[in-house]
Amino acid sequence: MKTIKRALRIHRIFISQEFKRMMEYKGDFIVGVIGFLLVQLSNLLFLWIIFGQIPDLVGWSVNEVVFIYGMSLIPKGIDHFFFDNLWSIGYFIVRKGDFDKYLTRPVNTLFHVLVEKIQIDALGELIMGIALVCASVPGIQAEWDLWRIIAMIAIMPFITLIFTGVKTITASVAFWVKRSGNVIYLFYTFSDFARYPAKVYNRLVQNVITYIIPFALTSYFPALFILKGENPLFNLGMPVLAAAVLMTAGVLVWHRGIRAYESAGS
Amino acid sequence: MRRKLRIYLPFVNAGMQEVATYRVNWIFFMLGEALSCFVTYFIWSAVYRSGDEASMNGFTFPQMIVYLVLMFLTGTIIASDGAYVVGEEIRDGSIVMRMIKPVSYNATFLFQELGNKLPTEIAIAAPMIIAVEIIRTVMSGVFEFNALRLLLYLFSCAMAYLINFYFNICFGFIAFVIKYLWGANMMKNVIVGFLSGTVIPLSFLPTALEKVLLFLPFSSLNYTPVMIYMGKYSGLELCGYICLQLFWVLFFFVLSKLLWKASVKRLSSQGG
Repeated sequence: MKTIKRALRIHRIFISQEFKRMMEYKGDFIVGVIGFLLVQLSNLLFLWIIFGQIPDLVGWSVNEVVFIYGMSLIPKGIDHFFFDNLWSIGYFIVRKGDFDKYLTRPVNTLFHVLVEKIQIDALGELIMGIALVCASVPGIQAEWDLWRIIAMIAIMPFITLIFTGVKTITASVAFWVKRSGNVIYLFYTFSDFARYPAKVYNRLVQNVITYIIPFALTSYFPALFILKGENPLFNLGMPVLAAAVLMTAGVLVWHRGIRAYESAGS
Repeated sequence: MRRKLRIYLPFVNAGMQEVATYRVNWIFFMLGEALSCFVTYFIWSAVYRSGDEASMNGFTFPQMIVYLVLMFLTGTIIASDGAYVVGEEIRDGSIVMRMIKPVSYNATFLFQELGNKLPTEIAIAAPMIIAVEIIRTVMSGVFEFNALRLLLYLFSCAMAYLINFYFNICFGFIAFVIKYLWGANMMKNVIVGFLSGTVIPLSFLPTALEKVLLFLPFSSLNYTPVMIYMGKYSGLELCGYICLQLFWVLFFFVLSKLLWKASVKRLSSQGG
């Protein structure tokens, strides 16, 4: 209990420091948020043009596809907002030897890295994700009972951790090879598959994005339950399981990696 | 001319050595990029399965896949880092080092980037062109390879690279206004990506918009070379689009020189 309290207090201090830093560069804040909004807008235009040509995509209507798309952005945005610092580990903190800083402090290194920074840019994804989910819901004929809405909100922290887990594991690679930014990038890009119903892909890809790099669990499978009420045990249980497995693996790999870490010369 | 070459060739060499240092990282990056291509491939295949017609806005399914692969290849060939490098140098002041040297800023950077790109490009382009031909032959059943079109494509790519290079140099001067270069670059890449047909062929857009976009510099980047290779342009039309490319090269070349002159006056660099 005491450790959790201490962790929360440290978190609060870091965040308030971050806000001070951000207030110094207000322009950056707008540029980043608009940038990420534009990325999503471009993908949406693509969807919109495509749906001008066809009535439905492998049996899913426009609104359902937009719902899945929006659903995929929310956990991605939350992870991006809170845990963006892992990218810096992969790209330069380890390579430049700056990781020494974390080793000298009386806090868990992974916790320290995760809470040190927040990334306002992520609001671009979050705003868009929430807007898309809200906009698509009236057009979907589903039984909206309270349980499904509760399930949708309750599953969010877990599917967020799927992103964080994948990033933690791939960022840790930097401890051995110095620079793993593009390794993170490669595996993170698999989340692009989560934008559309998994039915679109062939069997092999479906299996990969369900069981190996499980980004289909972040949007498509929860949506199967929320929209169609199908198989709650698998559609909600698997994301929770995947989050637990990935985060555990992440923590283990991270601490193994620290043992292999060598600081950069002088 | 010989003297110029002697000055700038070492920059090509330096560029080549730079890229050799980060080869593994680069491979992972390219794999990531290719992955996005795969997602798009599956979407298009679902779209053509869901639709009734074999051809959409002048593209059959095999043509759409060829388009996708060629867009990926062309994007790699014409990629230029200028905006970031120039912006970074303006921000940290190291641009003054370029000013005091008796060589052209743009030219040194151009040759360095060529050295950076040439080895990898040759390694990528040849297998991908072969892949395109195999995909096309298998999917549509006809062997359509045309050496003249390939040459025109490569020429058009070279022009597209120059447009992109000078456009990016110009864009780099935005560092005087926006300090968050990463964000600014992302915005630019998204907008250029859409307007240049990388996201979706321009013929899928409303006709009026398509007509306008075909004259803007963005379509001269990826769209024109790809359309040439696919044999969508011929005769007078083809000449027209190549001339348009030449015009945009010249336009951004002159613009970058003007911006350079203007920035020398505005620049205030800290320390030394």
